[in-house]
Amino acid sequence: MANTVNMSQYNEQAERRKQERRKQGKMRLSTATVTRDNRETIGNVTVPDYRIRCTDINVFYGDKHAIRNITLDIGRHEIIAMIGPSGCGKSTFLRCLNRMNDTIENCRVTGKIMMDNQDINDKSIDVVPLRAKVGMVFQKPNPFPKSVYENIAFGPRIHGLAKDKVELDEIVVTSLKRAGLWEEVKDRLDQPGTSLSGGQQQRLCIARTIAVNPEVILMDEPCSALDPIATTKIEELMDQLCADYSIVIVTHSMQQAARVSHRTAYFHLGDLIEVGATEQIFTKPVHQLTEDYITGRFG
Amino acid sequence: MSTRLEGHTFRRFDGELYHLHTEILQMAGLVYEQVQMALESFQQQKLDSIRVINEREAQVDALEKSIDSVITEVLAKRGPVARDLRTIMAFSKAVTDLERLGDEAAKIAYIAATMYNNDGNNPSNYLLRDVGIMGKLACVLLKEAIEILDMLDLERAEKLLNSHDDIEEEFQAGLRRLATYVLEDARNVGHIINVVLAMKSLVRIGEHARNLVEYVVYMVSGEDIRHTESVQA
Amino acid sequence: MNELVPPKPKTIDLVNASLAKRRASERLFRGIGLISIMMALMFLFMLFYSIVSKGYTAFRQTHIQLEVNFDQQLLDPAATRHHDVLSSADYSSLVKASLSKLFPDVTSRNEKRQLHGLVSAGAAYQLRDMVMADPALLGQTLQLWVPADDDVDMLIKGHIDRDGPETERRLRDVQIAWLDQLAAQEKLSLKFNMLFFANGDSREPELAGIWGALMGSIYTLLVTLLLSFPMGVATAVYLEEFAPKSKWVDLIEVNINNLAAVPSIIFGLLGLAVFINFMSFPRSAPLVGGLVLAFMTLPTIIIASRGALKSVPPSIREAALGVGASKMQTVYFHVLPLATPGMLTGTIIGMARALGETAPLLMIGMVAFIVDIPSDIFDPATALPVQIYLWADSPERAFVERTSAAIIVLLGFLFVMNALAIILRKKFERRW
Repeated sequence: MANTVNMSQYNEQAERRKQERRKQGKMRLSTATVTRDNRETIGNVTVPDYRIRCTDINVFYGDKHAIRNITLDIGRHEIIAMIGPSGCGKSTFLRCLNRMNDTIENCRVTGKIMMDNQDINDKSIDVVPLRAKVGMVFQKPNPFPKSVYENIAFGPRIHGLAKDKVELDEIVVTSLKRAGLWEEVKDRLDQPGTSLSGGQQQRLCIARTIAVNPEVILMDEPCSALDPIATTKIEELMDQLCADYSIVIVTHSMQQAARVSHRTAYFHLGDLIEVGATEQIFTKPVHQLTEDYITGRFG
Repeated sequence: MSTRLEGHTFRRFDGELYHLHTEILQMAGLVYEQVQMALESFQQQKLDSIRVINEREAQVDALEKSIDSVITEVLAKRGPVARDLRTIMAFSKAVTDLERLGDEAAKIAYIAATMYNNDGNNPSNYLLRDVGIMGKLACVLLKEAIEILDMLDLERAEKLLNSHDDIEEEFQAGLRRLATYVLEDARNVGHIINVVLAMKSLVRIGEHARNLVEYVVYMVSGEDIRHTESVQA
Repeated sequence: MNELVPPKPKTIDLVNASLAKRRASERLFRGIGLISIMMALMFLFMLFYSIVSKGYTAFRQTHIQLEVNFDQQLLDPAATRHHDVLSSADYSSLVKASLSKLFPDVTSRNEKRQLHGLVSAGAAYQLRDMVMADPALLGQTLQLWVPADDDVDMLIKGHIDRDGPETERRLRDVQIAWLDQLAAQEKLSLKFNMLFFANGDSREPELAGIWGALMGSIYTLLVTLLLSFPMGVATAVYLEEFAPKSKWVDLIEVNINNLAAVPSIIFGLLGLAVFINFMSFPRSAPLVGGLVLAFMTLPTIIIASRGALKSVPPSIREAALGVGASKMQTVYFHVLPLATPGMLTGTIIGMARALGETAPLLMIGMVAFIVDIPSDIFDPATALPVQIYLWADSPERAFVERTSAAIIVLLGFLFVMNALAIILRKKFERRW
């Protein structure tokens, strides 16, 4: 049994050396070559065929500097995911893209957000057509307390997208079909949207958004209130929608970001830390903070 | 801190990765000993080691199964990403290589058993010379590979992968030499075939050892350097 | 190491130990709550009991049956059937004649006056109205029930002590004897008091009615509602949804909240100074009353409406804004419908307060004695609470029950208003 002794000796030895190595802190396992203190954005923030180009975005809530110098492109037909711990400014950034921050008192946004050769952050821009172009889906499903039909028809009606009732009906049906909700609600269009299940409500909200036929869809944690099945349905829907729209999604679920997005942006305390192809971010992140966050080693 | 396997907010994940690493090293230790024993049996006619090796084979298989199940479990429960994902992938592949290493060792021991089990017509030491040289080289390489796997040392790993492949060279030289023995005396052919088979196994052992190191490189740096000629140091 | 150290007590033991005390305080609290509700119910019951028990008798009025001969000679000797002639004819002598026929042996002037005093002055008006409505009655003889005098009414309802000394009674012994005689002939009976619901105010309790005050209240409240609801809702919507946060808005907010607490009589003074003295609006008119009460109600409605708007979840606004609705569309299509029930509740509370308000109306002259039923918001009128106040002040015994009856009517009005509000709210709520 000399072999057994050998083996245990070997193990002991290995353990001891490991401890020594650990003390020296030499055992690097990380691809992260950028240290935690660095706040410059890592990775390529631009894409050649951009839909929205944000340059040096800063957001202040009163005295609080919520996000700092963010420069990022939103590509055409891409799903870009924003991840990061709570309060990192990802939702704030999202809300800059359709000027939803306007509704918040003493919120100030500086920087340039170029879309169709217009700076949409300019105060002179009318937010109504902007929001028709950049739709938004919110964290909590928030259907209007009206019928399913009215929920969808509201947007097209206020924007005058339908000439008559027939056209409006068509828009409603198409939107519901695209949102994968038609089969479930076709018999109860006159029932309140709030009577649907959570996942259906969220898809109703997505249908409401695409009924206006926007070019960009912003999603602020669209699945955080949903069960996994409903989540999967929404993700499948996003995957289909990105053929026609650019989708920006803020999510707390890194798995979701990994599943659906093409690019991922990691935010940390108001800074855009790292941007990259989702595969790269989730296999070999460059910034230490990104790696810590996605591997669950935060704090 | 975060450059290691540990540091997860959910500490049990640390424990699982650490446990995996330890089991892999344990398996590696077993395999290394098997290779050594196989070589001993080949060169010193220790025919009883084949029995020991077979017993060990069972242990290695058990470890392989255990490690595989832990890996599946971690994948299912933790959804590892980034370095955790690479670690799991590397471990998973390392297990396969280690298992093959064990097989090769068993093969060498089996060849030894057939070679010495032929009523006194033992091969001459000339024939065994190459196996001895290659065996030593393979053992050194394997030991170094296991240590790299233990330390997850990228520097040493790259050095090893950039080093010249001595085993392959020895194999080619050995083949040429053995060919002269065949020409010299055709009765040696039986032994020489066995010797060549053992040498081929040793070459494979070297390849598997290099694979282990490649996995470490992937794990640490995220670079997949398999099937590339050399690594830029 | 020391085994004498007592083991750390288990949480469940601590919980169990404190349980009795916790239960006891819970029971105590529940008990106090129950007692206070019982007390409230008791007081409410006492209030209702005292009002209803005093007031219900006013809904029935003693009537006397008379055989009335519509004597053409007396009423319209020239048979002109002319309106003026018929209206100015002496109907009271018909009543007197009928009474004399019932009691032929009453001859002395004094006794005759006492006999005629049994029947209300309103009997003559009743006859006149009948003839005016149908001149063909002339020359006919009819059995009619006419209202008795309030003293008779009081006697029949038992509010006058029959056996007391005659000098302290408002009815002489002989009058009581006649009444007994009438009662024996079944010519005396309690009938439903139509006059109470059809007449305006009167000095004669048996003729005094609530209709004038009710109409006054309705007109006043109409003016109040039409002014304060749209204004209040618009103010609330502006302050809540559109106004930028600034010192000025804060100041306005504080002032609105303070206005809600200003004594109502101040609003009356304001109305007197601005509407009557300065703008020369008619005195005692529901228009001015409505304006004043609208001022008084506005803060209540604004505060309630703002509360209702605040309680609309912001997610709805975000949803509407998110699909590109303008601020106005968001408010109009989504926020207002959801806030309507709350706004209605606030409005009804304000209106109920306005309905019960007296003080400001006193200041603008709606306290006057007004007999005529107002026909629009410019006619002089009084309001229900003012009428109650006036009657409560009157010396006649019969006004006591009328006061209570008027309170019942006021409460009924309130009840109807609240019911209407609940129905409206339910209707709006059903639209989700």
